[in-house]
Amino acid sequence: MPIIEVSGLAKEFGIGRAPLCALADVSFAVDKGCFITLVGPSGCGKSTLLQILAGLIPPTRGEARIDGERVCGPMPAKVGMVFQDPTLLPWKTALANIEFPLDLRGDERAARRKRCAALLELVGLTEFAEHYPHELSGGMRQRVAIARGLAQDPPLILMDEPFAALDEQTRTRMGHDLLEIWAKTGKTVFFITHSLSEAIYLSDAVLVMSARPGRIIEAIAIDFPRPRELDIIGSAAFGAIRNRIWHLIAEAR
Amino acid sequence: MRRRRFIKALITSAAIVGAWEAVVRMGLVSPIIIAAPSDIVLAAASDGGVFLRAFATTLGEIAAAVLIAWTLGIATGLVIGSSRRLAAGTVPVLSSIFAVPLIILYPLLMAWLGIGALSKIAFGAFSGFFPIALNTIDGVRAIEPRYFALARAIGATRWQTYARLIFPLALPAMVSGLRIGTGLVVIGVLVTEMLASLGGIGFLISYHRTLFNTGHVYFGMLLALTLAVAVNIGLTRLDRRVGHWRLREQAEEQPR
Repeated sequence: MPIIEVSGLAKEFGIGRAPLCALADVSFAVDKGCFITLVGPSGCGKSTLLQILAGLIPPTRGEARIDGERVCGPMPAKVGMVFQDPTLLPWKTALANIEFPLDLRGDERAARRKRCAALLELVGLTEFAEHYPHELSGGMRQRVAIARGLAQDPPLILMDEPFAALDEQTRTRMGHDLLEIWAKTGKTVFFITHSLSEAIYLSDAVLVMSARPGRIIEAIAIDFPRPRELDIIGSAAFGAIRNRIWHLIAEAR
Repeated sequence: MRRRRFIKALITSAAIVGAWEAVVRMGLVSPIIIAAPSDIVLAAASDGGVFLRAFATTLGEIAAAVLIAWTLGIATGLVIGSSRRLAAGTVPVLSSIFAVPLIILYPLLMAWLGIGALSKIAFGAFSGFFPIALNTIDGVRAIEPRYFALARAIGATRWQTYARLIFPLALPAMVSGLRIGTGLVVIGVLVTEMLASLGGIGFLISYHRTLFNTGHVYFGMLLALTLAVAVNIGLTRLDRRVGHWRLREQAEEQPR
């Protein structure tokens, strides 16, 4: 059963004046447990699509369903978000930041502490539980944000270019670790990125979007066996897929 | 080491006070212009009780005015700051009122509220309100939209968003508003007491000034100074506590 179902989704901004069409007729489905990446040229409406899925903005036409339920607002129990900027609360420790959604939800202190300590271990930051965000590196902060996204145990995690602000090495490492986290938790991940290599390395399938107004022009299945090693990035098969996606994006402009 | 420094400071101050006393005693300056330290002590000895009661009056007025200015200033700031449109409409008005010397409005307040403590509290609160509200608005407007997206994504209620995100994120800016605002409350209360009133330190200072009781005037000024310094120390502590993470984070993000 698909966890994300999008049909005929369109989004226009600026009512009254000439409306800006960000998304035009987007349809696709994502199966439970998959790692799906969305790529496309800058400004093609990737983030808009993600925000609609998260229930942060409403679509102009069409609908999105998550886990069978029509999206008409944020669904924190079903969807975890990780933004490009970690957006941690600077006055809270790493552990308290992860606990924050559960704290707001009214979970009991001992239970949420236990759960969040386990999440902190999952992202490899147990020793940094009592550190404040400004004492952590960029990569560590994003790990905390990922753990926070998992805190309410949603089946789906939406990630909006989460590694874009990191340096190349940290970024590669984070991708590798994210796959481990994904394998351990069995979540569905819907991931936006600009990096084609990152997209291919991580995903079960890459959705390619056209320039504005955004449409899904192709869904490319990635069949490399898992667990994947970073070496595959240099392989000829990897390069072929990369080229194909690159041409799709370039021609759709 | 610390003790020696203390003794040194003590000796220096004693020397200064001694020289001051000598200058006045020798008649080099008129005692109306500069009161000798002994005059101040004498004033404290003879009218200490009166001054203490006046001190309590002033303290009460300031406390009430501070409470009102903080509450109204922060509440107004949070509400206005949350709406871009409301902020765009009201901030120019609020800042132009803030730029006017508000003391010219005091006769009005006095006509409405009388010569007693009420008009002092009202004026103090009024003058402290603007910087607090304006800084709170700035603080809220400066919160990056991603925090609001986070709040919605994790299912925060409206109240939780205000109490757990907006308030703490705007706090550092708010505290600098509280510093300015509280200072203005102290000034406002003391000045209006000096203008027209029946009690308080400000009243005693201006009363004794008209009688040329320079020693009493100095003693009053000393009490007012103590008050202002105490308020400032309290605010600095608050600032340091709250501003701590913000400063660290800014220092951290500079190189980016």
